[in-house]
Amino acid sequence: MSKFWVIFRKEYSQVVKKKSFIISIVLTPIFMGGIMVIPAFLAQKKSTTAEKIAIVDQSEMGIGQKFIDEISEYKLEDTEDNLEDTEDNYYNVEEMFTLTAADSARFSTVTDSLRTEIIEDGLKYFLVIRPEAHVYDSNLYLITNSDNFTTIKRFEYRLSQILSGIRLEQSNVNLSVDSVLEITRRIDLRTKDALGESIPFEIKYFGALILVMMMFSMVIGFGSLCMRTVIEEKNSRIMEVLISSVSPFQLMLGKIFGLGAATLTQVSVWILMGSLLYTQRGMFDLDPSIDRLIFNPVIVIFFVLFLITGYLLYSTAFAFIGAIVNNEKEAQGFIFPITMMLMLPVILGISVVQDPNSTMATILSMTPFIGPSMMMMRIVFVAPTVTEYSLFSGIVGEATLALMVVILSIIFMIWLTAKIFRIGILMYGKRPTLPEIMKWIRY
Amino acid sequence: MLLQLKDIHKEFDGKVAVDKLSLAVERGVIYGIIGPNGAGKTTTIRMVMNITIPDSGEVLFDGHPADAGFRDRVGYLPEERGLYKKLTLEEVIIYMAELKGVSPKIIKPKIGDWLERVDLTEYRKKKVEELSKGMQQKLQFVTTIIHEPELLILDEIFSGLDPLNMEKIKEIILELKRAGTTILFSTHVMEQAEKLCDNICMIHQGKKVIDGRLSEVKAKFGKNAIQIEIEGDGAFIASLPGVKGFNEFNNYIEIRIDNTTDTNSILKEVANRVVVRRFDIVEPSLYDIFIDTAKIDPNQLETIGESQNV
Repeated sequence: MSKFWVIFRKEYSQVVKKKSFIISIVLTPIFMGGIMVIPAFLAQKKSTTAEKIAIVDQSEMGIGQKFIDEISEYKLEDTEDNLEDTEDNYYNVEEMFTLTAADSARFSTVTDSLRTEIIEDGLKYFLVIRPEAHVYDSNLYLITNSDNFTTIKRFEYRLSQILSGIRLEQSNVNLSVDSVLEITRRIDLRTKDALGESIPFEIKYFGALILVMMMFSMVIGFGSLCMRTVIEEKNSRIMEVLISSVSPFQLMLGKIFGLGAATLTQVSVWILMGSLLYTQRGMFDLDPSIDRLIFNPVIVIFFVLFLITGYLLYSTAFAFIGAIVNNEKEAQGFIFPITMMLMLPVILGISVVQDPNSTMATILSMTPFIGPSMMMMRIVFVAPTVTEYSLFSGIVGEATLALMVVILSIIFMIWLTAKIFRIGILMYGKRPTLPEIMKWIRY
Repeated sequence: MLLQLKDIHKEFDGKVAVDKLSLAVERGVIYGIIGPNGAGKTTTIRMVMNITIPDSGEVLFDGHPADAGFRDRVGYLPEERGLYKKLTLEEVIIYMAELKGVSPKIIKPKIGDWLERVDLTEYRKKKVEELSKGMQQKLQFVTTIIHEPELLILDEIFSGLDPLNMEKIKEIILELKRAGTTILFSTHVMEQAEKLCDNICMIHQGKKVIDGRLSEVKAKFGKNAIQIEIEGDGAFIASLPGVKGFNEFNNYIEIRIDNTTDTNSILKEVANRVVVRRFDIVEPSLYDIFIDTAKIDPNQLETIGESQNV
């Protein structure tokens, strides 16, 4: 057993001492953080210059003018509903054409020239109000090349109010526009689970994605390292010396566990960094429900368990590949299908998380190579909503079962790889065919 | 008997690589396995090292089938060489020794001496990739012997070394032998085998064709070789009656005669035709034995030399 530790130490220190290891420990969280923060930051960035608008109004009801009045004076109540704070955005109405409904010749000249302005970037928005716009929704449209969601929503909200007012006037109901809006206000159906305020879907989805990506990058990263060291030792012909000193089985296990220890080192550092950051969470505007995700014991425990077992399963598979190929190029063809299995939940994406307890998701999470990431995804979605955990039922029971599947797969893979390994590592030149591999297994 | 091979047999895809080979290596001897390329030397050594598993037969170390402990008591230098390029010489030596179950504490003080023996002292803290091929070979030799194995197995140890380094390694091998190490090595370069070996085994097409003490093998072939140095063309000598083997070297000719032919009659014949500068009756060199034996179909050849009680 002592030789196992010699290999273990060598593989571990070879990785941990590398500069690239330290760099990746530091850079990966920064990079991941960047991916998360930068888009949010960009989206928040408000334009400081006035955006030019032109309006063509054929309604003969003054909708255009009312719109101008509305957008030039913002009220804080806009922040209700789906509008963000409005102070920073402002609009400059460049041109306003009030035409009669019949004046179609003028309409087309004006719209054509304004369209050109939109194309040439002289104008940002061009609002077209055709006759009877308060009756037919299709007679009211905005021409723009901008995708500014907030602005478009804001215009929509404003125009709805204006049109509601007009409709109200025409309907002889003696109520103010505001009170009608209040009466007909749509509700925002909030969901709560048994434990209180529910965790927003985006947060769960994002959290699950991060965990799966972390698992993926570490399992594939260190697993393929296991393969690369085998290939390197084959190519440098040092393998024969190694095998004359240790058994192939010791060598294989030493590698797998040594690199596994490096994986755990990396996770520990990240968890530590994450915890430090978390204590400073006041600096960020975080949804309080995040606590329910991060401090959920089921999520934490199973993440660590699935990370370890997932790593063991995949690195054994990678050791298998390393033993039968001659160089990394040959290995590429094998790596792709393997990595895809771990990414499957991400590829299937929404369909899994919308119904994490569907038969398909359940079966997939009990499937050897897919299990770790799939089960993790499901746990993130289901575990925070459960109050009582049981080892034999519910999500924890299923996770335990999935874990058992992974552990059995590991045992099988180690048995299989050990058989292939001792022969494969000393074969140079020709890549073995499947029948040959089958022969090695029976050997 | 330190190492015994009993009827080991190996086929690859139906082709016989090693054919029911038996060998016995006594403790403290230098045992040379010779044979042409592809004769089965490396396969034999790999079977001894338990890297290739024989189809049949067994390998006994110290009277027992080789177990895990066997690995620590053997030093093995394979024909295909290589080391970790990114590690320093010191790190490589320590790692290799650790794999043989020797702790760094014991190895560290020895590193300096050994590196000095092979002129690598200044590279101790440098990476292996900075060494030339010959230097790497010397380093690998050091990693093979530094844990003081009882049995040293060297596959084509001298290939790729210049004469100076060859001499150096040879010296170390002889030194290790004096210290009691048993050495099994393979080569296809006969001169080295001749200079180093106590015992010799020649493998040809997977079969053992010669086995025994070097002196006995030579005696068996008899003192029937003649080295002749002449002025002029000596090609006619090959066709003289009684001449079996004929090897023309740059400076002299070596011939073998059959047992019934008198050396004097050869001398007379030659002297009649050309000026003779030197006429030596010698033991056949291993080279001649090798050439002569390799020419013959091994199936029609009885093992020459005394096979030790296997």
